This record gives sequence, C-alpha cells and structure tokens, in this order.
Amino acid sequence: MVTKLKEVDVVIVGLGWTGGILAKELTEAGLKVVALERGSMRTSENDYSLPNIRDELRYVVRHDLMQNTARDTLTIRNNPQQEALPMRRLGSFLPGEVVGGSGVHWSGHTWRWTDMEFKIRSSYEERYGRKFIPDDMTIQDWGISYAELEPYYEKFEYTAAVSGNAGNLGGKIEAGGNPFEAPRAREYPLPPLTPILASEMFSDAARNAGYHPFPRPSANASQRYTNPDGSKFGACQYCGYCQRFGCEANAKGSAHMTVIPIAMRNPNFELRTHSWATRVNKDSDGKRVTGVTYTNVLNGEEFEQPATIVLLCAYVLNNVHLLLLSGIGTPYDPVAQQGVVGKNYCYQTGAGATLFFDGKYFNPFMNAGGSNATIDDFNTNWAFDRAPHDFLGGYNVSGGFNTALPIGYRPVPSGTPQWGTAWKQATAKWYQTAMVINASGSVMANRYNCLDLDPTYRNAFGHPLMRMTFDYKDNEHKMGVHAAGIINDIAKSMNPTKLNPAAARTQPWSVVPYQSTHNTGGAIMGSNPRDSVLNKYLQSWDCHNLFVIGANAFPHNSSYNPTGPVGALAYWTADAIKNRYVKSPGPLVPA
Amino acid sequence: MIGTMRIAMVLSALALAGAARADGDAVRGEARFQDCAACHRLEAGVNNVGPSLHGIFSRKAAEIADFRYSPAMKRSGIVWTPETLEKFIGDPQAMVPGNRMPYAGMTNANDRADLIAYLSKASQ
Repeated sequence: MVTKLKEVDVVIVGLGWTGGILAKELTEAGLKVVALERGSMRTSENDYSLPNIRDELRYVVRHDLMQNTARDTLTIRNNPQQEALPMRRLGSFLPGEVVGGSGVHWSGHTWRWTDMEFKIRSSYEERYGRKFIPDDMTIQDWGISYAELEPYYEKFEYTAAVSGNAGNLGGKIEAGGNPFEAPRAREYPLPPLTPILASEMFSDAARNAGYHPFPRPSANASQRYTNPDGSKFGACQYCGYCQRFGCEANAKGSAHMTVIPIAMRNPNFELRTHSWATRVNKDSDGKRVTGVTYTNVLNGEEFEQPATIVLLCAYVLNNVHLLLLSGIGTPYDPVAQQGVVGKNYCYQTGAGATLFFDGKYFNPFMNAGGSNATIDDFNTNWAFDRAPHDFLGGYNVSGGFNTALPIGYRPVPSGTPQWGTAWKQATAKWYQTAMVINASGSVMANRYNCLDLDPTYRNAFGHPLMRMTFDYKDNEHKMGVHAAGIINDIAKSMNPTKLNPAAARTQPWSVVPYQSTHNTGGAIMGSNPRDSVLNKYLQSWDCHNLFVIGANAFPHNSSYNPTGPVGALAYWTADAIKNRYVKSPGPLVPA
Repeated sequence: MIGTMRIAMVLSALALAGAARADGDAVRGEARFQDCAACHRLEAGVNNVGPSLHGIFSRKAAEIADFRYSPAMKRSGIVWTPETLEKFIGDPQAMVPGNRMPYAGMTNANDRADLIAYLSKASQ
C-alpha cells in the first residue's frame, strides 16, 4: 500500500551538494521543500570528529559513507557484445549515501571547466576540421558558455572555501596561478594551501621543463573562514584523512556543514532520511511530473510525495537510473543511435609514476585533499597542438599527495616481492621516501559507452538494475601514451633513486580497482531535445517541472574533477527556478 | 623554512614559559576567536565539534557531562583560568598530549592575549 502525502512545492531526491544548494536557495525564496535522502543523518560533531573518523578500515575498506550494493548496484560490461554482470562490491567509483552525499568524502578539488569543454565540437571542427573527430565519438556542444557560468563558479567557490591562486584575473595573467585558466572576476576566497615537499619538488622540475605549475585549487580552507552565508570553517590541519572521510576540523567545504544546516533551520524545509526514491510519477499526458514515490528503507513502507516541481539531485548514475525506471525520455540505443537517456556516459583515464628517493623524507601522512602542484599545459592550453598526437581532450599532471593512508599506501619499487620479508623491508624503507606524479585525463563520449536498464538483474525493490557499458577507446589510449611520456620525462629529470615509470593503459576498463568517482553523462544538457535530455537550465525537455542536476548533465568528461561545474550549475538552476520558472512555469528554452 | 620554524618554536616555548599577558585587546580577540568558531559556540549548552565555551573560566577540564572528551583531557586535571587556557591554546598537544582538538596552536603571544581578553567577556 502506498500512502499518498500532502503536496509540496518542491521534492528533492538526494541531499548532497546539489540538493543542499537547491534546498537552501528555494526555501529562502519561500517555497515548501521536502528532501528525500536514501542515507542516514551524519554530522561533523557526531560522526566526523576525532578520533573515530580516522578509521581507514571503516571508511576506505568498508565504504561506510557509500552506496550499499546489497540494496542496489549496477551491472557492468565493456561492450554491447558482452553479458553484463552485477558489481557486488564498490571499487572503480564510490557514490555517497549519507546526508551530504559524496560531498562529504570528496577531496575538495574545485575547477572551472571552460568553453574548451562547453564548445568542444565546434572548437575542434573549426581548428582541425570535421574529419579530426572520429565517427563514433559523440561529443557535442553543451549549450552553455563560460561567461554565463562565471558568477556561479564564484558563488560556489566562496560557499565551499576554495583555496587557490588566480591565474587569470579579468584577463590579466597572475604569477603563481594557472595561466591557462579562463578569466575570473575575483580571486579565490582563500590563499593556496601550504605546499608539501613532494609538490615543491614537482613544481621545480615542471618549471625547469618549461611548464607552468600552480597549486591545485581545493575546498580545503587554508585559513579559518566564514563564508557569505555565515558558515564557519576551521583551518586545514593537513591531517591526511581527507578523501573518503568527513573533515574533523570543519575545514573541507561540504554541504553538510554549509547549505544543508541553513536549509534545516528554515521552517519551509523538511528532510526525510532513509528514503529511497523508486519512481518519478508522470501525469496522464506525460507532459508534467506529479511527484516521487519512495520507500522507507528501515521498514519498507511506501509513500507518494506529490510536488509541483521535482529535482533529481542524487548521484550521477542514480539520477539516470530514476529517469529510465520512470519512463521519462526515450532510452538511448547504441546500435541504432536513437534516443537520449543513457547516452554519452563518460569516465576518466590516467597514468602515474612512483618516484623513490633514498634519504628524502616526504612525511606522506601529512597532506590536505589538495596538496598537489599541477600543470595544465596539456589540458586547458589550447596552444598545445593535438594534431601530431591525434587525440582530442587533454590531461592535467600533478605531483604531491592527497591520500597516503596507513593500510593502503605501500609504495615499493617494481620487482619487489609482493609478500614476505623482502616486501616488509621494502615497505619500511620506502614508505617515507616515495612520491607520486599522476595524470588525470578526459574521456570523450563514444556511441557505445552508455547506460540502460539491465534485462536480467533486479535490485532490492524488484526493479531492473542499471547496466553500464564502458571501455576506453583509441583516443584515451593515445592520450595515455602522451601523458606517460611527459610524466616520465619530468620524473627522470628529478633523478630518483628508483622509478616505477608511468605507462599508458592498454587493458580494458575494469570496475574492480578504484580510479575516480567522476562518472558523467547519461542525462545530458544540450541545445535541442533531439540530442539531449535537458536544456541549459538542466530542465527536462519532456517534462518542464522536472530538473536533473549534477554531472549527469555533462555531455563528455574533462580531465578536471567535476564538482566546480556541478556546484555552479546548481546555483545557476536555482536562479532560473526562483527568478523565472516559479513566475511563469513552462519550458525555459523553446524546444 | 625549517630554520624559521625552529625559531618560531623557540619563541613559542619562551612565550609558554611566561605568564599570560593581562593587556589583551578584546576587540582584536573577537577576530582571533574566528579560529575557534568553526567548532566552538559561546552559548550555554550548545556543543558542536568542540564543547561550548560558555563559562569556560569557571570550569575544570572535561566537565560538561554530555560532551565526549578524550581520555587525555579527562585525565589532565586542568582548571581553566586565563593562564591555563593561554598556555593550552599556544600548543594544545604539548600541554595535553593525545587530546582530540584538531588545532595546531596559536603561535603569536599577542594574539593569544587578545583571544583570552575576548573570551573573558564573551564566555560569561
């Protein structure tokens, strides 16, 4: 039996960064908002304080803040010829499942994606010609511009306490920042984090090679800070427990200590935890949605929450899954190349080297989420000519640490036995004296990389699992070869005692080892309903009172972490709803 | 860099050896309190990541019943006075090793004097 509840103005599915931002903005605009969060309530004071938070077994190995795969998971395959099998244990990516979402356990890296991404197809066609883009590469322009998003990037950076060094302030290149970034109107709210030895050594080597190192912008407060909403941040203590943990010092910008408590103090807001959304309901003609059906996962009770506006703010993959389960939009078919929901699923690629320096002590246990120096010479640097290397997109390279934990971080030189006395001696010798250089690379959309409903396997609610079809293509392999070469040149110039060199990935993508929680696409934004699910305001082309907010809207993946544009788009959508949609409900862009 | 840190450590050790300065500026101290405000409230009974600082100068360490203190703080036997708090905040791990406050310390003696002057008023 489904209990039908009283209608509210807005129902939000998922209370992380995007749901939190929308909840705060829309309740302040006077709307009655209910948020449904599948996970439990977690707070800094009860859950993320010392000493309990520093528990690598609980949070890293056992995924305490992440999706429970016994309840719902995905099936995985590399190509449409394979039979997909369920992912029984999280690995490759780690969707959050608590109040605050994945924004609790992120590292804080906050980038501004630029028109190089938003106008990707037109830029490459203009510079390199149409034939430079492979036939099966389904990249497309996003229908939005950097200039439109710039104020919203700034709003997110100031909310989340991003520490960094501007590289381009109003068109003027600033020393110490990223010279290739797009112009910003204001400096970062906080100066960069204190560099660590590994990032300083990488910066020196990169600079000597003619590149342009800069401190990675991160929502790790380099000093105590009060954001424009009055949320208080402590200074980062460089404790080393950032990625996969809540912050013990309230220094990492997270929704659970900024926008969510502000919404919770507003009488217009109600939060329901342990509430798993199973379906978005449509009215009889399919032009509008009427609310959300959800299950209380503690007792199995089902509810229907009617709402005037529905906002999907769950994890990327869960947003797409809900659209597919609800029959909203036409599912994408990779063979016929028809339909849109599930199209352009992307991930990221990379390469990495480990450098061993006899006698240098890096203290890898001391770092912040953003303790990396980075170069963008092969990423947002449009002067870097891709033609000789025959790939599109780019990669950033960084040196430093942002996670080096006592159980998992065991760097040893290649050839060391994997167990026994020799391994023990090597891990003791090299733990303190190794550092890493990593590249994070973009993944271009491909017609065969997509999401749909699995024909065989079902979740705890009896609904089909979502099926992920993904593999790296030639473009990623060529980029990997280039990135490995650059990393190894920089690494060798540093004269390490021993070097585990970087190598391009050649094996098919595997869901088992962790790579990055930067899944994108599946419900993408665009300029027309034929090739996208959402318009530039992340409003459904099919149902105008449905908005789907998050990295699901990205038509391809860049080398950068996604949270900068995710946060900016959340504020951008909030403004569109408050200032335009509520006054005149209907499509914000004509189809 | 390392040299500067050593000098700073020597200076802070000297400062710790001396008594708290009585001439702190409470107005400047309110700005210094922003270092604490992410975790500590001044209202009575409002615990956050850290315990409420209301009435701090009339308490023994680890005295608020519903706050989960570290064993180190419970064992410390400290009575909070302007002098003991000034010493603690300069280098919390030196005075109470193993306490669980994630704060490296306020190294400047003038800043500490200002903070204590502010707290003397604002914690009442």
